[in-house]
Amino acid sequence: MSRVSKAAAAFLVATALGLAAGPALAAKDRFVVDLVNEPSSLDPQVQWNPDSYYVYRNIFDNLVTRDDKGAIVPQVATAWKQVSDTEIEFDLRSDITFHDGSKLTADDVVYSVKRITDPKFASPQLGQFDKITEAIALSSTKVKLVTAGAYPALLAQLVKLSIVPKAVVEAVGKDAFNLKPVGSGPYKFESWQRGVNVQLARNDAYWGAKAPFPAVTFRAVPDAATRLANLQAGASDLVVTLDADQAGQLKSSPKAHALIGLTERVAYVRLNTTKPPFDNPKLRLAAAYALDKQAMIDGLLGGYDKQVPELLTPAIFGWVDGIKAPEHDLAKAKALIAEAGPAAKAEIDLSTAPVFDQRIVQAIQQMLTEAGFNVKIAMSDMATYLKRAQAGPETTSLLSFGRWSCACQDADGVLFPLLHKSSGWSAYRNPKMDSLLEEARATLDTNKRLAAYKQVHEIVASDVPVVPLYQAVVIYGAAKNLTFQPTPNESMFINRMSWKD
Amino acid sequence: MPGFLLRRLGQALVTILGVVTLIFFVQRLTGDPTYLLVPETATQADIAALRHQLGFDRPLPVQYLDFLGELARFDLGQSVVQRVPVTTIIASRLPYTLMLAAGALLVACGIGVPIGILLAIFRNSPAAKAAAGFVLAAQSMPTFWSGILMILVFSVLLGWLPPSSTGDLWHLVMPSFALGLLSMATFARITRSALLDELSKDYVRTARSRGVRSGRLLIHHLARNASIPVITVAALEISNLLAGAVIVETVFAWPGLGQVTVQAILARDFMIVQGVVLLGAFVTVLLNLMSDLLYSLVDPRIVLEGAR
Repeated sequence: MSRVSKAAAAFLVATALGLAAGPALAAKDRFVVDLVNEPSSLDPQVQWNPDSYYVYRNIFDNLVTRDDKGAIVPQVATAWKQVSDTEIEFDLRSDITFHDGSKLTADDVVYSVKRITDPKFASPQLGQFDKITEAIALSSTKVKLVTAGAYPALLAQLVKLSIVPKAVVEAVGKDAFNLKPVGSGPYKFESWQRGVNVQLARNDAYWGAKAPFPAVTFRAVPDAATRLANLQAGASDLVVTLDADQAGQLKSSPKAHALIGLTERVAYVRLNTTKPPFDNPKLRLAAAYALDKQAMIDGLLGGYDKQVPELLTPAIFGWVDGIKAPEHDLAKAKALIAEAGPAAKAEIDLSTAPVFDQRIVQAIQQMLTEAGFNVKIAMSDMATYLKRAQAGPETTSLLSFGRWSCACQDADGVLFPLLHKSSGWSAYRNPKMDSLLEEARATLDTNKRLAAYKQVHEIVASDVPVVPLYQAVVIYGAAKNLTFQPTPNESMFINRMSWKD
Repeated sequence: MPGFLLRRLGQALVTILGVVTLIFFVQRLTGDPTYLLVPETATQADIAALRHQLGFDRPLPVQYLDFLGELARFDLGQSVVQRVPVTTIIASRLPYTLMLAAGALLVACGIGVPIGILLAIFRNSPAAKAAAGFVLAAQSMPTFWSGILMILVFSVLLGWLPPSSTGDLWHLVMPSFALGLLSMATFARITRSALLDELSKDYVRTARSRGVRSGRLLIHHLARNASIPVITVAALEISNLLAGAVIVETVFAWPGLGQVTVQAILARDFMIVQGVVLLGAFVTVLLNLMSDLLYSLVDPRIVLEGAR
């Protein structure tokens, strides 16, 4: 023991001496952002998750983007013209250079489109762009995209198409580009200490709005309580993904405040309309009457989220004002269930995953139980939940809670997957619904599309294949003097932030 | 000695192969990561196409042989989520895991062993009772709670220590204590019972009757004899510390292997999980072997089987 304890003592002393050097004074020229996890990849075309695009959307430009109000506005493209139902021409800026100094031209745009739409490239985002069948450079500043049939959501999808430099990607290859991405955005990639942080430096040659901070560090901080503590201790300037309780805690904080924005994300309960008890439309209606959306929002979500009568949010094209959905009415729900007799008492599984707010799931169970249904929560890991939720009406659960975002702010990305018979997510079979969704997808005429979606909303309200619940908010925590308007598509463009005096 | 080593290494190889085979098939029981990779709007056709490109539609035996083939070439494959080699990911995390394990071990041993001695020698003193209470409290506090509490007190309130993440040695202090205080109790308990065991032996009485002083007796006779169970526990605790720091790593945003493993399990990033499990099996086997060898150094009476 003597040797062991001597060694331990020596180690202790050495450590104490090392520690006595003191923490380095944090230099404040760096803007520090706490994400949940580190980006899985910074090649903008090989993954689909928020922690990645929070970072790389600051490194890359897109063909078009959305302003803070949600309108599609020029970015790399200055103007566009629909030449025919399937062809659209884009004029490009001529003054954009990539971070390596080379010019961004039509070739890079064409290359970016072809890269992500090549099935062999195996981009998880393929489904967002595979309606594009051809990309042609007409000149160095003009590009034509061809789609398979009229595709009204094209521009909404192109908001997410980052333009990568053809020459660089081809020269270094896919794996090296992933490690050291080169874009044309307001920030340049500087370093990635894997597992620890990603550092970006301001691109002083940026063509657009200059970024406010000279350098940015993105860190992975998985625990929300720790992100909150970091913010309060002044160790970070902006943190993502807080909940309503944590936003409440920030109200009394001298150093930080919560930034809350309504998003395009819609929370819903999907019913399996092909199996008892929900093959009976009256019992579906009973479920809609039983759910008290406002109680969930006020009681559990801090009152920030907003209830919706249709399966969209006002941030999405296709939203129609004035849709009448069944209001909460427990007596009506009970009456309908009593009328249905023993058929309503069958056991109902409500599938969910740990990523969702379990208090909401439990509230749904409780409200339905109070009305007379026999609901059991079926929790599984996310992968299993997703597999089952998309397995089609034969094998999917009777009820399933979800929060949907197509990240495109177009009704086609929400309603078609959740309601059309060809989609794995849909547990609804109604030819009228299918034809309305197909009609709205196949025309570029916005009035025709809106008219079709209005009918879709009315069917959802009366026939209840899903119960739309609320428009979800996104909650950031930020240093007190940071100004930043959260956007519905949950993007985080740093060059749109600023310090208040 | 060489015979002993060879036999143990052979056993180790079989153990490790068994472990990776098990983890390979267990992970794949419930499907593959494709659903987690795609946006919600992906159609079944999109998902099937991606699954094909990633190779998860191949029969399991084919995937397994492929995996073994790569393993034989010391290739752990590529993460399907991050699309970089698994070795890169593990290599980036390993130093942090080792740092945290070392810090925690230092806390656990540095506090646990002295407390154990105190508990054994001054059994009924008020100090020993207070120390026992401290050990009990430290072991009973869950780390997700004690961790956040420490952050709130030492970072938010007092501003003495950085709240999370890595950087200089200061960043290591709170995670080391949060993790180390848990295993401290084990060290205290084992040290105490080992010492008590020795104290009741004849040679202690003999030594005392010959007038050997208590301090000398403790350092030269008791400590050495009592250290064998402590070494065994240390070996076990090291493998625990290497594997079981997930919560501490999460609370303190410490980029260790535990965190990356749990994320990989949730994301079904099979290759990373396989790599980490392989490493874990390797370390456990190695540590056991080392503690066996250490016994013979500490206690010359222990002769390794087949050593002659």
